[in-house]
Order: sequence, then C-alpha cells, then structure tokens
Amino acid sequence: MTQAPRELTVGVGAGGLATADMVLNIGPQHPATHGVLRLRITLDGERVLKAEPIVGYMHRGAEKLFEVRDYRQILVLANRHDWLSAFSNEIGLVLAVERMLGMDVPERATWTRTLMAELNRVLNHLMFLGSYPLELGAITPIFYAFREREDLQAVMEEISGGRMHYMFNRVGGLRDDLPSGWLGRVEATIAQVRRRLPDLESLIVGNEILHARTRGVGVLDVGVVTSYGVSGPIARASGLDIDLRRDQPYLAYDEVFGADGPGRVVTRTGGDCQARLEVLLEQVHVSLDIAEYCVQRLGSLERGPVNVKLPKVLKVPEGADYVATENPLGMNGYYLVSRGEKTPWRLKLRSASFNNVAVLGELLEGTLLADMVAILGSMFFVVGDIDK
Amino acid sequence: MVDLSWFDVVLRAVIVLVGFLTMPLLVGQTEHKVMAHMQGRLGPMYAGGFHGWAQLIADGVKFTQKEDIVPAAADRGAFRWAPAVALVSYLLALAAVPFSPSMVGADVPGSLLLVLAVSGIGTVGTLMAGWSSGNKYSLIGAMRSAAQLVSYELPLILASASFAMAAGTLSLTGIAHAWTPVWLIWQLPGALVFLVAATAELQRPPFDMPVADSELVMGPYTEYTGLRFAFFLLSEYAGIVVMSLLFAVLYLGGWTGPFDDALGWLWTLLKGFLVAVVIIWMRVSWPRLREDQLQRFAWLGLVPVALLQLAITAVGVVLTA
Amino acid sequence: MTVDLPTPRVGPLQDAAPKPMRLVLNWGRRYSLWVFNFGLACCAIEFIAASMARHDFIRLGVIPFAPGPRQADLMVVSGTVTDKMAPAVRRLYDQMPEPKYVISFGACSNSGGPYWDSYAVTKGVDQLIPVDVYVPGCPPRPEALLHGILRLQDKIAAEQLSTRSYADRRRLAGAVTRPAVQEPGAGATRVPVAPVAPREARS
Repeated sequence: MTQAPRELTVGVGAGGLATADMVLNIGPQHPATHGVLRLRITLDGERVLKAEPIVGYMHRGAEKLFEVRDYRQILVLANRHDWLSAFSNEIGLVLAVERMLGMDVPERATWTRTLMAELNRVLNHLMFLGSYPLELGAITPIFYAFREREDLQAVMEEISGGRMHYMFNRVGGLRDDLPSGWLGRVEATIAQVRRRLPDLESLIVGNEILHARTRGVGVLDVGVVTSYGVSGPIARASGLDIDLRRDQPYLAYDEVFGADGPGRVVTRTGGDCQARLEVLLEQVHVSLDIAEYCVQRLGSLERGPVNVKLPKVLKVPEGADYVATENPLGMNGYYLVSRGEKTPWRLKLRSASFNNVAVLGELLEGTLLADMVAILGSMFFVVGDIDK
Repeated sequence: MVDLSWFDVVLRAVIVLVGFLTMPLLVGQTEHKVMAHMQGRLGPMYAGGFHGWAQLIADGVKFTQKEDIVPAAADRGAFRWAPAVALVSYLLALAAVPFSPSMVGADVPGSLLLVLAVSGIGTVGTLMAGWSSGNKYSLIGAMRSAAQLVSYELPLILASASFAMAAGTLSLTGIAHAWTPVWLIWQLPGALVFLVAATAELQRPPFDMPVADSELVMGPYTEYTGLRFAFFLLSEYAGIVVMSLLFAVLYLGGWTGPFDDALGWLWTLLKGFLVAVVIIWMRVSWPRLREDQLQRFAWLGLVPVALLQLAITAVGVVLTA
Repeated sequence: MTVDLPTPRVGPLQDAAPKPMRLVLNWGRRYSLWVFNFGLACCAIEFIAASMARHDFIRLGVIPFAPGPRQADLMVVSGTVTDKMAPAVRRLYDQMPEPKYVISFGACSNSGGPYWDSYAVTKGVDQLIPVDVYVPGCPPRPEALLHGILRLQDKIAAEQLSTRSYADRRRLAGAVTRPAVQEPGAGATRVPVAPVAPREARS
C-alpha cells in the first residue's frame, strides 16, 4: 500500500479562513501517556506544529535518597525507577558495587542472573506488546500479553517472592539458591509462552489497520538517534546496531552472544513505529532463546554457592566506577562515587527513557494528533525511568 | 395508511419506548459478555447474581444518583440538550423499523428515507456536545465526528438506494417483502458497504476516532457526567440496535424464515442480534483507523463499490422486469 | 486564582429517595463502580494486572472504561504522588461527580512508601483527598486490590447519602488552584493543604 497523503483540514479552517493555533496539554494525566508525562503541543486543526515534552511529574529524588541508604538498601530504590525492568536495574547496581569491591561472583549466580534478566526482558516487552495496540485502539492484545506475563511472573515470584520488584540480587550474588525443581518449571513456562505467543502475534502482525497506523509513521533516522543518545530497541529499529550485551558483555553474555550462543542483536532499518514494534516482538523470541539456554547451562552446573559472605558493615573503597547495562528499554548506567563510607557519596543514574523521550520534540512536529499517540506509544518509555 | 385511534397511537409509542429502553441494554450486556469471553475473561459476574445479568441495571441506578455537572466554561443550553438530540434521533428511527408485517411502530410509506434521515441527526447531538463542552478534546472529537459524517453518509445512502431500487419501494416493509435469497449474492457488495458505513456512523471501532479514548479521553463526551452521559451511552447502543435491525431488514430478509407467520418478529430480532454481535466482534479484534484513512477509504473504496452495486442492481432490475 | 466551585450535589433520585429505595440505590452504586486509574508508578502495572483475565475485577462490577474523571465513580491512586503532581490529583478528584470513592493503592500513595524521606514526594495521597480504602503493599498484589474493592463495596452497601453531607467539602475546593509548592524565596516552602476529615465523620 502506498503512503496515504496525510492531509486533513478540520473545522472552520477549511476554505482558507484564518485559523488559530490551539495549545493542548496532553497530560500529566492522560490515557495515552501511561504515567505522567506531559506534552504541550500546539495544534493547527489536527496537525501538531510544535511538541514539547515536559518531564518531572514523577521525580522522586531517588539519586539523593541513594546517599542516605547503605549499599544493601539502595537496591530497593534502584529497583523502582524503571518498574518494568526491576531485575535489570538491580544488576547494573550490584555489578558496579561488586566491581569496586573487586568481588568474584559465583558462576551459578551469574547464570541465574542472566536467566532472570532475560525473563524480565520478556515481561517488559510483553507489556509493550499489550499496551501499544491498546493505544492504537485494539483492546484485546493486552489480555493475551498479560496471560503470558502472569505465567512468567509466577515463575519469578517462586524464586524471589516478588511479582514486579524482585529484590533478588545481593552484592556478591543472589539472596537464595534456586528452589528445587524450579528450572524445570521455568523451562515448561518458556515452552508454554512460546506456544501461545502466536495468539498474540496474530492480532498484531499482519493486521492491515495496524500496518496503516504504524508504517512510515514517526521515522527516526540514525543521525537523530546518535545525536540524542537514543538507545535500546528504539535505536536498533533505526538501524543502529548496538547492544551492550554483545558489545560490552557483562554477566554471562559473552558466552550467550558468542559463537555457539543463541544471542543475536535484532535490528531494523525502517526507523518507524512498525520497525520499533517488530524489534520488540522479535526480541521476545530472542530472549526466550537465551533464557532457555541459561536454563540448560544452569542444569549442567554443579551445585555451589550463589553468593559471597559479606562483612557486617559493607563499605566500598574510595573511588568511582561506571557500569552500563543493556536494559530492556535501552542503555542503563550507574556512576558510583564512593568516599569509603557505608553509603554512596553519589550515585548517578543514566536511564534510557530520558534520552528516548527527549527526541519526541523532533519527531512529533508536523504529525497528526492520532499519529502523535502512535509515536508516543512506540517510543516505549517508563515515566519513572525519565524522571527518576 | 390505516387510521389509528389515539389509544392505538399511545400503545404503539409505549411499546416502541420500552423496546428502545431494553434492547440497547441487551446489546450492552451482550457486549460485556461476548467481549469478556473473547478475551479469556468472564465479564461482570456479581451484579444481580446469575452471571452479572443486572450489571447494566446497576449502572443505570448508579447514573441516576450521580452529580450533574455543567462545566463553568460550557454553553449551558447546548450542553444540556445535546444528549436528548442524540437520543431522540434513534428513538424515531426505531419507531419506523418493522419487526414483522404487522409489528411496526409507525408504518410510513418512505420509512427507509425516514430512518436514514433521522439517524443522521444523532451526529448533531455529538457536535453540540463537543462544541458546548468548552473542552479542547471535546472540540477535536466533534470536528472528527463531523468529518466522519461527511465521508460515510454518502456510501450509506448509495448502498440503501440499491436495496430500494431492487425492491422498487422506499418502504422498509415493502423491501423486506420483496426480498428473495438471491439478494444474499446479488446485493452483497452493497451490504458490505452498508455495514462498514453504519459502523462509521455509530462511531464504533475501528471507526471510533471521535471518541478515541487513548487520544481524546472521551471525545465529545469528555465533560458529561451522570444521566446525561448515560443518555449518550444509551444512544450509542440504540444506534447499534437500529443499524443492526436495518441491516437485517434490508439484506437478511427481515422476518423471512420458518414459521414466519407467527414468529416473524423473532426472526428479525435474531438476525439483528447477529449483526450486533458482528459489530461487537469488530471492536474486540481491530485497532482504530486514523480519521484521514477512513475518509480515503470512504471516497476511494466505499463510494465506487456502492456505485458499482447501484449499476449491478439497475441491470438486474431491468433484466428481470 | 481561585475558582468558586458550586456545592457538590448528588443526582435527583438519591436526594429524594425514601428509605426502602436506599437499598436499591446502594446496590446500584455498589456494583457499578466505573474506575478511573490514576496510574502513577509501579502500582499502576499491578492495577492493570488486576483488570486482566486472571484477576478480572470487572467481575465485581468495577468497569475500567472511564478514561476521564467525569464518568468515574472510583479513583484508584496507584503510585507515588509527587508534590509536582499533587495539584493535578486534587483537580481530577474535584472533577469527579459525587458520590465518589477513592482507593489508595500501594505504599507510596498511602504514606510515601520507600520514598518517605524524599524532598519531592507527597507523603500519602490522603493529604490531598479523602481516601476510603487503603491497600498496603509495594506494589500490592492484584488480589489485595480485589480485597480492597470488596471492602469498599461493603462500605457502600451500608452507606446513607444526602446532599448535606457533601456540603462541607466545598471549602477544600480552593486548594486545587493553589500551587502545592511556593516559588523559592516566597517564604514558607510548603503551603499546608487543608486537613481532610475522614469520610465517616461526615455522613
């Protein structure tokens, strides 16, 4: 289908009469901003002339609070800035602390972390696959997405006790060993999700209306991606082939993304909403592959410790370190500065959504109001990850 | 037309009103349940005990108790009257739709014309609501619904004209009498155009841009509370009833079926109900189109098909005459 | 700028109803709770999970089809309320028509939760609006929300409404348009929000 000419004149502006621009506040509480992002847009009819994201409605001051929590407690807050990828958030932080302490983490813990990080990525992407069609008016996919989410959450809950905020990482490893028989249940759940995923896909992929709403809409070119520091699936949908799991391996990713591993980086070149949707959809499959591989590796490892005994008072030696991880939403970084106290002196967060949303001003100009919602949804941000 | 005593008039009016108040609720409850089961849920289960059958009654009881807010920036008169305008149009339309040769609220000669004319008035209510609310989302929603009116009304009328031409009458009763099973194939393109255009007129997904909740909160109805909002909801579902029954009468032969001497009205109801389920089904499965995409679709897709159908019908009528 | 809001009034039927009618009226309100999700943070995801197939609060007559406050009966505040967001929370609450109910879902909106010592977080949404049911947890499980809804429904069933009981909410309406945080240098940093009496005290 050729690109429909997106020309629409509405209301009294029709016959070349003078029109007045309308300033419309989308948010801070609006069904499309899932959370509290606010957009101030100037409209001419339905066409967006100017769009300005206004952030800060979810600013909870986590970075300041890090400075009065000890290294065990900061996990609680680090967990919550991006509430869809809690486990991945924990990992970045514990890796930073462990590296500054010069700690060696048992292999069993590393593989379990990798497994759970990938399951978390699937959970995260499933949320997108449900909520994005919802923003485009399709109400059913989210029910299918949450069916899978509930099953995966049950597995995650069994090991960690949490449905969303797992708090399962500790500095030096994991909180507990794996429950007996858990790996088998993970494998069964992965197989089940894989079996039922086509139900969800058939509602999204190949739907003509969804294609019409996403193809060629909100094209983000690589130049803008690099200049704004956009990362993650959004950047990869524009053709920027970058993934920290492969390019700067942490956890067990150098084996996963190695020659024999199942890991591969999903990219598209379109840069439009459809490309972003496709990247996220395919990443679910890749992550399920990786998770399955991790389960097999964990099964072949012999039993052993999953954590390192910590001193009563955990103090990180003076210095600074920066650890970046590939979170489901994009690059997530922790810059940790310690003065040898039991609390960090400064812990700076680099969160993916902040940069990914900054590009909206560039992307929304000249689009239609309906496309604005499609683009906003496709940028897949979490407001807590923007405002911290 | 037969002369009616005043008692007959009142009786018919009351029956139509009761039908108008109950059938939309039936469709609404069906929507709750059908949608829920398509999505792996149960839908309302508690209100009224058995499978939540009284959910919409509870909704109604609640709506009567809600505070009636007229925003300070609203145009009070237009704001207050908009739900009534939306509601009355479908009430009048329902009165002219026949359930069986004898069961029709008002058997007027040009009933097809009447039904199409008054059901278009409903959009005026939406426009009034959007303009008078003093809310930008409402305004955009109203403008969208006006734009939508312009693009779907033509295919709707062209498709209806084809049925009228095939039957040689503008009376709905007459069209249903003239119906033969051949119509199912002969009038199929026109029927599809009618169904699509009717969905657009009803502002139902995938053509619900005027009320697109993820874009415009609730479109023209954003500022409405309590009973006034309930009236808009009722008119939406009454619209589904009217359009489904119209489709059943025009294309599915209305009361034609086994034992249609005694059970004709039941056949009309059943066929209309099936069409309503299809309209619900569309909501469950599809995302929303964009306003300009609908217009493109209407002018480049629906109108040519409807014109083609008219030509086919004309040839058919001439050949069989 | 303060706007003089009219005294909230309940609909005509509720006002004029004789006693036996109240049973029916309360039943209607109980099983038709159109919910407006004030989704702010993590808890909003668990709220969505509660509306999905496994937990499905639509069974209880909690209908999540109200995208705006005007059509809602129940507001579920799920997530961290920040001081910057506080005026919006209050405004949306005021936009809801009476009779209206609020469930505070999760530790953050109950009390500030893990952000209890943050400079930017409101320590509980009950500083802004009256809350009927508090659901604890961080985030609470969807089952906890279901339980909260059942408690609210019990409460509604035992309720007795009249226009008079809403009259004293009027004095609070001015607080909406005041900024929760004054500009720096203007003296005090926080404008105290008028205390809100618990709902029982008024009926």
